[in-house]
Amino acid sequence: MGSTEVRALDDVSLDIEQGDFVAIIGSSGSGKSSLMNMLGGLDKPTSGDVFIAGQDMRGLSSSALARFRNETIGFIFQQFQLLPKKSALKNVTLPLQYRRPRYDEPLKRAQVCLEMVGLGERSHHKPTELSGGQQQRVAVARALAGEPKVLLADEPTGALDSKTSVDIMRLMQELNRDGITIIVITHDEEVAAYANRVIEFRDGKIIADKRQEVAA
Amino acid sequence: MRRLLTTFGLAISSLVEHPMRSLLTSLGVIIGVGAVFAMLAIGEGTTRQLMEQANSVSTRTMTVYQDWGRRSGRSSQARPRKPFIESDVEEFRNIPGVVAASGEVSRNVSAVSETADWNSTLTGIDTDYLNANDLTVQRGRAINFVDLDQRATVALIGQTIARTLYRDQDPIGQRIKVNNIPFEIIGVVNPSDQQNWRGQDPDDFILAPLTTARNRVTGGNQYVSSHVESIKVVGGPDADLQRIQAEMDIILKRSRGIKATETPDYRIFNFAANIAARAKTDRTGTLLLAAMGIVSLIVGGVGVMNIMLVSVTERTWEIGLRMAIGAKKSDILTQFLTEAVLLCLFGGLAGLALGYSVALLPFWGDISLVYTLQTASIAFGSAMFIGVVFGFLPARRAAQLNPIEALRHE
Repeated sequence: MGSTEVRALDDVSLDIEQGDFVAIIGSSGSGKSSLMNMLGGLDKPTSGDVFIAGQDMRGLSSSALARFRNETIGFIFQQFQLLPKKSALKNVTLPLQYRRPRYDEPLKRAQVCLEMVGLGERSHHKPTELSGGQQQRVAVARALAGEPKVLLADEPTGALDSKTSVDIMRLMQELNRDGITIIVITHDEEVAAYANRVIEFRDGKIIADKRQEVAA
Repeated sequence: MRRLLTTFGLAISSLVEHPMRSLLTSLGVIIGVGAVFAMLAIGEGTTRQLMEQANSVSTRTMTVYQDWGRRSGRSSQARPRKPFIESDVEEFRNIPGVVAASGEVSRNVSAVSETADWNSTLTGIDTDYLNANDLTVQRGRAINFVDLDQRATVALIGQTIARTLYRDQDPIGQRIKVNNIPFEIIGVVNPSDQQNWRGQDPDDFILAPLTTARNRVTGGNQYVSSHVESIKVVGGPDADLQRIQAEMDIILKRSRGIKATETPDYRIFNFAANIAARAKTDRTGTLLLAAMGIVSLIVGGVGVMNIMLVSVTERTWEIGLRMAIGAKKSDILTQFLTEAVLLCLFGGLAGLALGYSVALLPFWGDISLVYTLQTASIAFGSAMFIGVVFGFLPARRAAQLNPIEALRHE
């Protein structure tokens, strides 16, 4: 009996420029999630190197990785992942709670972020009192709170209807114009249409990598 | 410090958001701490009681009785009983460490005042009697050497006699007829501290000079003129009662012509030895009670661990999220450990209240529950200890989660 080696990502070489808006597209099992975990500092490659913002990820300890995620990456998830019993404002401060040295006035910063996503009025509502689109906006605000260099969104519209999806992607475009690097993982061509660059994965390999005119 | 506050705030809000779960989780600890606190209080109460007894006059008292059945099982072989005599008392009084030695004779008598009558006990006493029995004169005077010497028909009475025979009048200077012999009341004795012992009222007595009592009421002995029926010897607070008892034994054997190897015809009852034996069994009881308390505390701790493990599973995605946005393993560990400790802290406080209110229950009777800061901190401290010990496993499990898998968990 032998076990078959599964290569989620195989011989992938990829550069993403600062300030870019990149969509990584592929069907499930294509390796795009593994790529995202590595880009987000949640996982390390078995072999090969990952450099993010000049930092070699392979050399980092578990707590250095945690610190890296806190300072450099803003995560956005398909299911929003908001703490249900806490207000939008409290949810947005969450990354700041783990900031060392301590972040001054996290509530102020959280309010600013909520205003950036157009939910300044709703800061004291709990997630259950908000619509799906509003919840995802709160999640975007949370990702922005720590002033990250990269927004990493995993199927950000997967749980939203198409109209709300358009709103969220437009929001991402706006944020990108303000200078933040955005990487969206998706299987949806329509979502990918908002990106400047689309990289397509299949069976752990890149099969297409093209720049495109942005949909408006 | 501020970081600690953040951690506390995080833990508190998580507990407050699930009030029912928090309450149920800490219930075991509440009961456990309550049990430990109450058990320690019982132990402390018993110890105090014994210590008070050990320091009181009554526990330093040794009583010498005639032993009627001890020399032989058959009454025909019982020798004519030689009574104790006043010179025995005198010799006891001279033993170093003895603060009072008193011989007495007593009879049940009928006592009659101008207005009422009462069945009581007349005790013939010497000048050491009040000291030896931890009694003091409330009003009037005590019986002195002159009274003894002159066989004066004077009497001290206890509170019960004063109440039943003289009601509102001042008994001092009044006349009391004891078995028809008139005595003048010269004093009233303060209420006794003694408990109502075997249904006997400790304040129901008449005291008269030993000489007068023997001469007029109880009657003399056919062999000796200065007999006493029993003797009480009180040692000083730091006296070695064992040694005093041994010396008393020697004196009595010599005085009564009993060989060292012979079985004596008297008995010396040492109350302190009795107390020491009781203290030993009480201590065992206290340990047993404390052990029971600790067992319930451990059961409470297992309850905390159980619920914390459930909570970790329930909140797996939350842990994954927190890790993704920058929580270190140590942050997660601290968060869950703090929650467990806070639960136990709350449980500890509520448990102290529970343990304290246990004393209000009606079934304690003579057992007194004594709560001290020390026992409170022992009970509370063990709750904190339980929190750390039983909170650690769930907290570590939470900290060891893989963020990628935890995020996928729904």
